[in-house]
Formats: sequence, structure tokens, C-alpha cells
Amino acid sequence: VTAPPIHATYSLIDHDGNPVTERTYRGRWQLVQFGFTACRVVCPRALAKLTAALSALENTTGPAAVVPLYITVDPDRDSPAVMKSFLETSYPRFTGLTGTTDQVNAAKDAFKIFTRRRDLPDRPDEYDVQHTAITYLIAPDGRPARYWPDTADAETITRDLARLLEPRTEETHP
Amino acid sequence: MTTMSVLNREQLGHLRHWDNLSRQLPHDWSLMQGKGLGQDDFGSYRFQLAYMMYGLALTHRHRLPAASGVFQPTMQRLMDKLLLPDVWMYWRDTSQGGAVVNAHLTEGLGEEWDPVVRDNIMYSAYVQSCALMHDYLFASDRYAAPGSLTFRHWSFFWGGQEKCFSYDRESLNEHIYWQMVQNGYLGVACEPNCVFQICNQPAIMGFRLHDLITGGNRAEEVVAGYEKAWSDFGRLDADGHYNMFMMEDSRAIIANDDVAPWIDAWCGALMNSWNRDFVRQHYSSQVADFLEPRPDGTISVRPSPPMAAMGQDVIVDTCDAGWVAAWVSEMGDQATLDGVLAHADRFMNPTWRDGGLYYPRNDTPTDAQGNRTEIEPMTGNVLLGYARLNVPDGIWGLYNRPWSPEHHTEPALVEVERDVEVSRAEVIDGVLHARLRRDRALPGAGTVTLARVPHGARPRLDGTEITGRADGDQVVLDVPDGPAVDLVLAS
Repeated sequence: VTAPPIHATYSLIDHDGNPVTERTYRGRWQLVQFGFTACRVVCPRALAKLTAALSALENTTGPAAVVPLYITVDPDRDSPAVMKSFLETSYPRFTGLTGTTDQVNAAKDAFKIFTRRRDLPDRPDEYDVQHTAITYLIAPDGRPARYWPDTADAETITRDLARLLEPRTEETHP
Repeated sequence: MTTMSVLNREQLGHLRHWDNLSRQLPHDWSLMQGKGLGQDDFGSYRFQLAYMMYGLALTHRHRLPAASGVFQPTMQRLMDKLLLPDVWMYWRDTSQGGAVVNAHLTEGLGEEWDPVVRDNIMYSAYVQSCALMHDYLFASDRYAAPGSLTFRHWSFFWGGQEKCFSYDRESLNEHIYWQMVQNGYLGVACEPNCVFQICNQPAIMGFRLHDLITGGNRAEEVVAGYEKAWSDFGRLDADGHYNMFMMEDSRAIIANDDVAPWIDAWCGALMNSWNRDFVRQHYSSQVADFLEPRPDGTISVRPSPPMAAMGQDVIVDTCDAGWVAAWVSEMGDQATLDGVLAHADRFMNPTWRDGGLYYPRNDTPTDAQGNRTEIEPMTGNVLLGYARLNVPDGIWGLYNRPWSPEHHTEPALVEVERDVEVSRAEVIDGVLHARLRRDRALPGAGTVTLARVPHGARPRLDGTEITGRADGDQVVLDVPDGPAVDLVLAS
């Protein structure tokens, strides 16, 4: 599997209101998922799957130096507070990242994320955002290391992470 | 494995014609020039080259599986031609936009020389899928080598330094995949802003072949995303025909308003690879709009209506009859296929040249009796032969029924001289069966080379044991003059 041809750069705000970039998490693996908190199908499934994968990983290898990040594609609605509430309630492993529309667009471009805002016929005042559901893994040195399509299951991700992380985990947690 | 049949005279004639075209000197496109200007429509060389390769792949996979030597050299020569700048240089101009449907885009687009770097899936996917098809069929790494898919142009007379863009099967496959991802799996555009349903089918085939070689499951991922993405727009228009394309900027769908046969037929023929139930569900009602029963069981294909835009008549090769024939063959609708081919044989001047069969270009719409006579190079050189050589669900089988690794350990004809015709080549219960005929009208040494010969196996020609000449661990056989002979290689 080749590394994804992305730049893996961003300049955003975390769900506690702190400015962050990809350099903020240097030295740890970044597991990056794009989505939006009002997503009804794709994001809950992906976040639950990644949570399960990380839990399984820790059950076999112990604490892993992984930072799970959830970057919004819907900055108009996903403020830091909204993201924090959503993630802490259901997916507490994840840190939410948001920002201005320009900041989010720059992150999307860097990660080759497709989005399309779509009106909902049954709820005229609302919309959803179709988006790429690929999961990216960024290495501790900032290089894009791996990606998984939406179709990858938790077991596959756990197995791949274990293979990729084990030596590094030992290095960072002697 | 049991094949469908022994190839008949016409099928062998199409294979010979493709081989002949593959041997034309560089930049000699004799018999392949369509009536449209440039390399934009089905008159383009890329389509003829690619669908000859697809047709060869189908024939090898389904009819002559033990004769790689018939197919591999021809596919390599066609691939060499597919990489020539004559084939892809249109992109330098087409990349700049200005098509009738999106003339507003010209200011944002520049001249792009690299023919696969953005959009242009109508070329890049054929390079990708044909290279992967070759390597899959022949267990080869020919196009895995860095730079094996390189696009070069240099002229003594203009343009300065050489333009050179290097890819291989991996890097090109990756590049197309990530364009697909970035576009939400809707597909990659052909002309700027225009994402055609059909033109992303070859890329999906390429992903599948890549998976078969590498063990991945990218095709499954792309198909899932592609299905989801197109579910918003709908595959079919209000009349039940395939939507043609989607405009990236406005997300507007361009339907098949003129009910052009080529749109349904081309799409159905290839989409059957991964979406068979859907394609078959709609086939009968779609094709009924295009067929015109004619005397003596012949069937004519109604052509696309003429088009005009910006005060101009649009002159293009639509290849309606050819695409319908290819689609019908994939659907296994033998009665219709027989009728369409009978029409071509009766009214479209089947011609034999250097042992090859083709239907030469004819721009005259009908004869004096109103029978359709117009035929384009893509139809006459390629698609009617493709249809005749295909088997029901041929593309589906290529996608869904891969050869097991044992296939590449079985005995086979791995080299076939140009003057030897192979009408049967299959392995049944470990025994190679082939039918061979030497054609003295063609140049060649009259030999075939057998490889992976089982220990103790002896070749027999029409029941008589022959020795052959050892060439390393291979055996070279002389094919005698006269009628076809049956070769059996058994202990």
C-alpha cells in the first residue's frame, strides 16, 4: 500500500478553542477523519469503527501514541463547542478541529477531500454535506503514512495500525 | 477450462486485421481515420486501439486461453501506438476548454501537455486499463517498470525541449484513483467539467485488474462510492436511457435527450462488468428503441439524429451500429447480434486484406433501397469484430472470473509466427488442444512455440507424434502447409 499523495497540512482550531496545525501533534501518529457532526450515517459509522479499532489496538499493544482527529467539513455549524459536545458524548477519543471556511477548505484541499452541500427535501431548513470518508494516518514526522477507504473494517485498521505503530509505540513509551 | 468454440473464418479474420493494424509503421493510421476533425470523437485512434486490446483480451480469456503468443505481441504493439503523441496530443488543445456545453470555462483553463495529469479520463483510463489488462493476462510486469508508460513529444521544428511525462501501471492507477477520490467518486472528467458515466467504466475495469494483480480491493471501494455518488443524479433519464454526463460546476445532468444508441450501448457493454443485474434489467427496453428489422433477418441500427450547434453541423463518428453490436454481444442476445452482423455483411462491404477482415469506412448514409451503409472506422475495424469475438457476459467474466494462478502453469502456445492461424487453444484436464493452420500468403517461419510442457508429454499433429525442436525448456513446432491440423500435447 502506497502512502496517500496528500500534503497533510492544516491550520485550524481544536474543540477547546486552541489554534492547532499538523505540527502541534508531531511525535505522535495522527488518525484523521473528515466529517460533520450532523452527519447521520457515514460519520457515526466511521467514528464508531475507528473507536473500536483503537480500543482493540490498545487491548493488544497497550497505550498507543495516536491522536484521533475529526476535522469538520461544515464549519458554518460545527463550532468548537458543538464539536466538543458531540465528540465527548459519543466518541470521546476524538479531538474535533474546525476553523473558518477558508481554513477548512485549505485542509480539505490538502487532504484531497471532496465535499458537496446538499439540501434535504424533507427538511427544507437543513442540509447535509456529502464528503470523502477516507481515514488518513499521519506519521510522527508529519509524513502521510497510510489511508483506509470507508469500506475498510475495524479489524483491518487495527491490524494495520498494530503493524505500523508497534515499534514507534515502544520508542515513544520506553 | 472449456472454451466456447473453435474460431470461425470471420473471427479469425478480425484477429488478423487487428494484428495487421498493429504492425503498421509508426504514424501510419491507414484505414483508421474517421470523418471528424482531430482526435475528439469515436474516430479517434485511442478508441480503436483500446477496444482492439479489449477485444483481444476477451478472446484470449474466453476463447483461446492457451495461446498467449497470439495476443501478447499484438497487444504490446497496440499499446506502443496508444502512447504515441498522435494519439494524445489533442489534449493540449482540448484541455483548454471551450466546448459548446461549457464555453464559459475557457478563462480558467490553460494548455496542458501531460495527457493524464488531470481530466481526460477518455484517454488516461484506456492507458491504465490496457496496461493492466496486458500484465494481468500474461502475468507480466512489463508496465510496472518505472517509465513504462511515458508520453513524449519533441519536434525539430517547434516547441523547444522535449515534453516527457513518465508513469507506470502503479503510478497511473494511483493517480486516477486519487482523482476519483477527490471528485467524490463521481468520476473523472473527460473534457473539462464533463464527467461521463461511460468514460469511467474503463477506469473501474483498470482498478479491478490492478486488484487482481496486487490483491487489493480498490475496485470494490470505488464501485461503492460511485454507486452512492450517482444515486443522487440517477443512472437513467426519464425515458429509461443512460444519462450521458454531469457538469462538475453546476452538477447538472445531461441526459440522452436525442436517444442516441451509442450512449446506452457503450455504457451497457462495459458497465456490465460490475453492475450486471442493473444493465440486464434495462437492456431489452433500451435496445428496442434502436433496432430496425430489415429483410431476411437483418437488423439495422437506427443512427443518432444529426446535431448542430453554434450554427455548425456537428460531424462526428457516432458508431451506433458498432456499439450496439458490442453491447448485444455482452448481453448474449444472439438473435439480435446475428441480425446486426448480417446487416453489416450484406450492406457494409466486408473486405478481406492481408488475411484480415474489416468493413471500410463509408460516409454514405444509405444505398438506393434505403439500407444503411454508413460505417465508421471504429465500427468497421474494431467493434463488429469485438462483437463477433466476445461471448455472453464476456466483460463480466473478465472482471468477475479471474484466471486462477494455475493458468500460468499450464502448457500454452507462447509464440506464434505471423503466418500461423490459431483457431483453438485450450487445456482440458492438463492436455493442450490446439488447431493450427499455416497461411503461406503471410510472412513468417511457420512455427509455434510450446512452453510449460508437462514432463513426458508428446506433441501430436492430427494424431501423428512429432518431435519438434527443443529451445531451452520450450518446444518449437513446424506447422505444415495445407488445411488446419489439430495439435494435442499429452503424455
